[in-house]
Amino acid sequence: MYGRKACQLVKELASGEKGQLTPYNSDLSDQVIAECSQHHLELQSLIRKMQEEGLDVQTTRNADHYGALIHHLSLVRNKRCLMAYMYNRAEIIRSLIWKVGPVLPQQIQEKLSHTEEEYFKKHSGALQSYMSRLDLDLTVDMVPPKDPYIQVRVLDDIGVVLSDDKTTNFARHSMHFLKRTDAEQFISRGLMEELTS
Amino acid sequence: MASEAGEGSTAGMDDYETLISTTDVELLKKAWRNEKAAPEILRFETSLIQRIRGQIQLMEENIEEFAGSGIDPLTVSLYQMDLDRTQYLFRSYLRIRLQKIEKYMFHISKNPEVQSRLSEQEKGFAIRCADDMERHLEESVLSKLPDNYQDIVKQSIISEESDMIPEPQLDSFVVCKSRRFLGPFQLDGSDELLEMKPDELCIIHYKSIRERVQEGDIDLV
Repeated sequence: MYGRKACQLVKELASGEKGQLTPYNSDLSDQVIAECSQHHLELQSLIRKMQEEGLDVQTTRNADHYGALIHHLSLVRNKRCLMAYMYNRAEIIRSLIWKVGPVLPQQIQEKLSHTEEEYFKKHSGALQSYMSRLDLDLTVDMVPPKDPYIQVRVLDDIGVVLSDDKTTNFARHSMHFLKRTDAEQFISRGLMEELTS
Repeated sequence: MASEAGEGSTAGMDDYETLISTTDVELLKKAWRNEKAAPEILRFETSLIQRIRGQIQLMEENIEEFAGSGIDPLTVSLYQMDLDRTQYLFRSYLRIRLQKIEKYMFHISKNPEVQSRLSEQEKGFAIRCADDMERHLEESVLSKLPDNYQDIVKQSIISEESDMIPEPQLDSFVVCKSRRFLGPFQLDGSDELLEMKPDELCIIHYKSIRERVQEGDIDLV
């Protein structure tokens, strides 16, 4: 019925955990779009009926007018729900760029639709271009610094990494004393953890 | 960042306070706090940011020199910590602004007054943001809808104005205080008068003190 499917779509959005995406429901959104076309056809046929009866479409207030109005309002509500669905998902996608970086892990990527993947890439590109124009990396330093150097334990094998002028071997379970900004990129990808003793 | 704007004077606590609080780092801290608390994006502090960048670079070079020249490592790490704090403030300031731009991209693109508050690079970013979002929404939803309903900011072509743009909530409450005594002044948009004593906290609608925050009379906390 009118607006129920769109409401379901929005409820799906609200039911996910905050900041997490649910898999993109292309079936439901296609159904909502099909409903919109349906409403539009009905709307047009009612308007045509009024015109054939010689009534002024702008000012007449009869049953057909109100029928057309209901179709219009349902259409507009469906549109709002659809756009809210896409817009809010896009918001979550943008927050992922800040949290996880320009490359998404497989489990998250599965939940995106094709256009959303495109949007993700484009927006990452926009951010990168802004940061390179300023010559500044804004994705480090996300928490206020307590110490300039922190102790970290390596969780996954990272191997040998070249930093500044020395190479360090980040083998699993090894502990290192690193500059905060250097370690942050590994910590945010879950490859290292900070030791706060 | 120990470059004071002037020595503490004996001309009274008021002047001393004002001098102490005008080091660039203090100004950055104030700008950062204001930006964090305000619901809308504030004016970009171009000259302050430029100076801070210069100072950060200078500090980085100094620290490298110190580290190499055998100065007590404790002193070096203290300078390093100070530098880190300043860098955090700097990056966080820019980040908060970017996130506000992302949030209100359509509002910004339709509003030249807001655009005038952005830096040049931010303007470019805002335009790209809005374009990307527009294309995304068009491809996934709007192009599949019936003809009169395809606009991105109007619900349908019979809407009288753009009714689908998310806008910053200017009447959200903020906590603010003033450093000086502010005689009874009129709140923006109403007839009420408000008086503020120095360092007294006040919880009020943002839009009532908007102008004063922009001029720097009132600080957000």
